[in-house]
Order: sequence, then structure tokens, then C-alpha cells
Amino acid sequence: MRRTFLLFLLFTLCFISTSPALAQVQVRLRVIGASNEGQSIDPSLKDIYKELGSLFSFTSYRLFRDENLTLSPNQPVSISSRRGRLIEVTLTGLHRDIAELRIKVVREEKEILNTQVRLSPGRTVLIGGGPRQREGIIIYALSASF
Amino acid sequence: MKKSCSAISSLLEKYFDREVTDVERSHVEAHLLDCQACRDVLKSMGKLRDLVKTPVEEAVQKEDFPWVWQKIERGIRLEEKPPFWENLRSWLQISPLFQRRVWIPAVAAAAILLAVILPLLTQKIPSHPSPSVVEYVESQTHNVMVYELEKTKVTVIWLFEEPEKETPSS
Repeated sequence: MRRTFLLFLLFTLCFISTSPALAQVQVRLRVIGASNEGQSIDPSLKDIYKELGSLFSFTSYRLFRDENLTLSPNQPVSISSRRGRLIEVTLTGLHRDIAELRIKVVREEKEILNTQVRLSPGRTVLIGGGPRQREGIIIYALSASF
Repeated sequence: MKKSCSAISSLLEKYFDREVTDVERSHVEAHLLDCQACRDVLKSMGKLRDLVKTPVEEAVQKEDFPWVWQKIERGIRLEEKPPFWENLRSWLQISPLFQRRVWIPAVAAAAILLAVILPLLTQKIPSHPSPSVVEYVESQTHNVMVYELEKTKVTVIWLFEEPEKETPSS
């Protein structure tokens, strides 16, 4: 009886330690305001400024929000940003080094983007564009760590 | 004290200490029957012994000699430690878990599990068959462009405003 219990315990521990389904994913979400007004670069955007500068032609990048989201499977997390926008991030799948995320961007109750991305550590997904407001746009920068 | 008392007196101490032979004891006891002086000497010997013995015994009973135990324990500690394998073997013998020899199937199961899991953990399996980061993308209001920069590991999803529809001229 004790032997059976020990073996069961061993198998359970092995299963728990290797099961990714129980894991959570940390996603860093930054809401950036990009515009051509002024030439200021937010110091906290240093790590992606090079990429932003090579991709876009804006002269100013300001960090509006910097959130570390802890995502559990199929539990959406919403972050509201400026100009009535809302971004909703849901962890839909998790492989060894890939987190599958469903991202929805809603503006004034209108879904302006619905996408599914595979995010791995070290990769950044930038979501931007949309209606310009006062000569500026919103860029969402998502990166994962797990 | 009678004349023979001088001869008995040398035996009297031995008699008191119970060190005499049977012959000597009968000789002394026969003398003591007739000699009050020697009986008094014997009695005084008893009193003297009690006088010394009682406080010593009381002191010994009160004293637990901690320093003696400390010395003994230090001596035990200083003794050469048994080898590791001997310690392990004695521990295994003590442990009821190992007395039942459950460890044999447990270790075997752990080894099999390691053999199965380790290659799975160490081998580099591509995490996903498709290298694309964006699985799908849709927008009801905008045109969408996706481009990926593998060098910098950046993926951009860009929303373009649809060109404004021309308003019919009135």
C-alpha cells in the first residue's frame, strides 16, 4: 500500500513539474504615444527605442502606461488606455517557450483589431496605427517572460 | 584489657574489616565474649566508621559528578568517527522505510521516469511548426499590415485608416 502511494506521489510530482497548463505567463504591456510634436524620448523606452526609430518616423515617444500582466489560461485581462481605447489580452495556449495570446483592441465599443499572436521570450509585438489624434498615434508594445 | 588482648588487637582490625580467616574469626569472637575492653574497642571502631562513612555517602549521593560525564562524553566524541558507508548502512537499517525495501521499486521508477523525461526536456524541438508570430489578424474598421523583423525579433501589426470615401457632390 505504501509502495503504491509512493509511486503515485512520484508520478504526480513529475506530472506537476512538467505540465505547462498550470503555468502563468508574465506579459509586459507598454502603451506608447508616438507623435511628431517635439523630440522627447521617454527614458523607459530605451530598450525598444532603436526598433521604434528604425520602423517609424515619429520624433517623440512617450510612455503612457507600463503594465506587467500575469496571464492565466483563458482569462482575459483588459487595460484601458487613452482616447477611449481598451486592449484585452488573453492567454489561449502555452507551449515550452511560446505563449499564444489573443489580443483585441476596442475603441468606442468598436473592435478595431482582433489578432492571435505567438509570443516567445525576447520577442516584441508592436501594435500601432489607427486613427490619428492630434498628430499622434498609440503604439502597444507586448513582450513576454516565462 | 587482658593479657591476650595485645595478641587479639592486631586481629581486631582485620576482624572489623572482615578480612580474617575462619580460624582467626572464631578465636577473636571467643575472646570478645570474655573481654569487655576489646568489645569497646570494636564498638569504637564501628562508631568511627559511621562517623566518616555517613557524611561521605551523603555527599556522594548529592553529587552527580557532571564533570565526570563531561569528560566521558568528550572522550566519546574524540573517538574516531565511523566511515560514511557505515553511517549510511546503520541509517538504512534504522529507517523503517528502507527496512521494507520500498526504495528498490521507487528508485527504479524514478530512473525510468528520468530516462523518459530527460530526452524530452533536453532535445530542441521547434516549439511550433510555423515560424510566423501572427496566427491571424482581422479588423472591422482598418486595413492591417503585418511585418516581422527576425533580426531584432520585432513583429509589427499596423492599422491603416481606410481612405475617406468620396462624398457625392450635390
